[in-house]
Amino acid sequence: MDKLLDLWQASGIYNVTPGQVFMILIGLLLLFLAIRKNFEPLLLVPIGFGGIMANIPEAGLAMSAVENAIHLGGPEMLHTLATALNISSAEPEAVTHAYHAADAATHTAAVYAANDHGFNNGMLYNFYTVAIASGAAPLLIFMGVGAMTDFGPLLANPKTLFLGAAAQFGIFATVIGAVSLTTLGIMDFTIQDAAAIGIIGGADGPTAIYVASLLAPDLLGAIAVAAYSYMALVPMIQPPIMRALTTEAERKIAMVQLRHISKAEKIMFPIVLLILVALLLPDAAPLLGMFCFGNLMRECGVVDRLSDTAQNALINIVTIFLGLSVGSKLSADKFLDLQTLGILLLGVIAFGIGTACGVLMAKVMNKMAGGNSINPLIGSAGVSAVPMAARVSNKLGLEANSQNFLLMHAMGPNVAGVIGSAVAAGVMIKFVG
Amino acid sequence: MDNLMSEGLSLMVFGMGFVFVFLTLLVFATGFMSKLVTKFAPEAKPQPAKPKPAVAAAASTGNDELVAVMTAAVHQFRKH
Repeated sequence: MDKLLDLWQASGIYNVTPGQVFMILIGLLLLFLAIRKNFEPLLLVPIGFGGIMANIPEAGLAMSAVENAIHLGGPEMLHTLATALNISSAEPEAVTHAYHAADAATHTAAVYAANDHGFNNGMLYNFYTVAIASGAAPLLIFMGVGAMTDFGPLLANPKTLFLGAAAQFGIFATVIGAVSLTTLGIMDFTIQDAAAIGIIGGADGPTAIYVASLLAPDLLGAIAVAAYSYMALVPMIQPPIMRALTTEAERKIAMVQLRHISKAEKIMFPIVLLILVALLLPDAAPLLGMFCFGNLMRECGVVDRLSDTAQNALINIVTIFLGLSVGSKLSADKFLDLQTLGILLLGVIAFGIGTACGVLMAKVMNKMAGGNSINPLIGSAGVSAVPMAARVSNKLGLEANSQNFLLMHAMGPNVAGVIGSAVAAGVMIKFVG
Repeated sequence: MDNLMSEGLSLMVFGMGFVFVFLTLLVFATGFMSKLVTKFAPEAKPQPAKPKPAVAAAASTGNDELVAVMTAAVHQFRKH
């Protein structure tokens, strides 16, 4: 009978908390959105599944060895940990707090104490440490994105870089939004949190995760989920803003065909970009360095095997680990918070402002160029989200004028947006990191 | 609190300013690079199929000429 009782007390049903049930439902919702609605399925399937696994009661998949020991070890274990951490109280909360605040040496002592008693890191925790905490996964994805990017349209019309710059205003406007919410006493964000939330407006998953992992690891789950959900919603968020800000005549503007770009120019571009980063903003070097490296592999033409791996096999492998690791951050105590609602709200505002600024900038450039050469619809593509945002520009262009193919023209601002948000990320890391 | 707001504002001004400065420089650097490339390493414009036989033909006529000259030279040499 005792054995049966033990089994019951170790079961998920006995131990589950309402928060965990709710988070598992959120994981299921993400899976539904990915599978039925086709919302960024490559990321939301691993994220949703990781979220469900992270919330399995008692399994502790998303917890470190010490957290597992605190949770499962009983009074004796807590006492040992308290001694290792040099605190007198052996209450679980006090130990947890001391563990998170400990310096490296004490931290390590606590980890050894937990390991000695047979507690180990959860699987998802290990994935997170290797993939995200180290910064490796977002950077490898950026390399793959670089290897998939064709800078031809941008090189043919370098002025479109200004559109990519203008659309980054969404990022910084959102920082102000987050800071205002805090000043008004509605939410509680630090300047680091605000910066990490703003980067959602960059509409660039790996950049958002990279910045969040450095500036606000606690908010990483919510930020990543918001970033990828809104990227999937680009075809719904952008068109109303684009229509509201442009006239029918402007949407009909047909653009001249882009000039031919030589191979040498395409090879030189990533090198020029890298030199500029090295000279001006070393903090953006990890992101843009990997991006340029991936692009050089693509364009130089002598390492096709490496380029192929970077843009197919490797990016797929990394995506699996990245998704599961992000999912591991969907734990009830971190996600079920007013802050998450704030992040979701601010994220969509960031997207909207970015889109609007891109379109307005394109209108200004069109006026300056004589009024009939730049279709303002391509401005919205300045919020990265490659290639979805460019497709939206193309679609709206076709609606206004069935002979108007804007796709290649919109790819210029689109890839400029990737560079722009990486630069913005570098500035944020430099100023508040 | 005010401190946080001013931090946010300065982040916006500097951040946005820097993004624009960086991308403006990139526009110039790219334009300059494109000019250099088109000047010093102009891509041999689309030349599939057609120019190749022409080059080959030129080469072969060159050879014929050379052979003729050499034969003449050898003849001259043997006459003496």
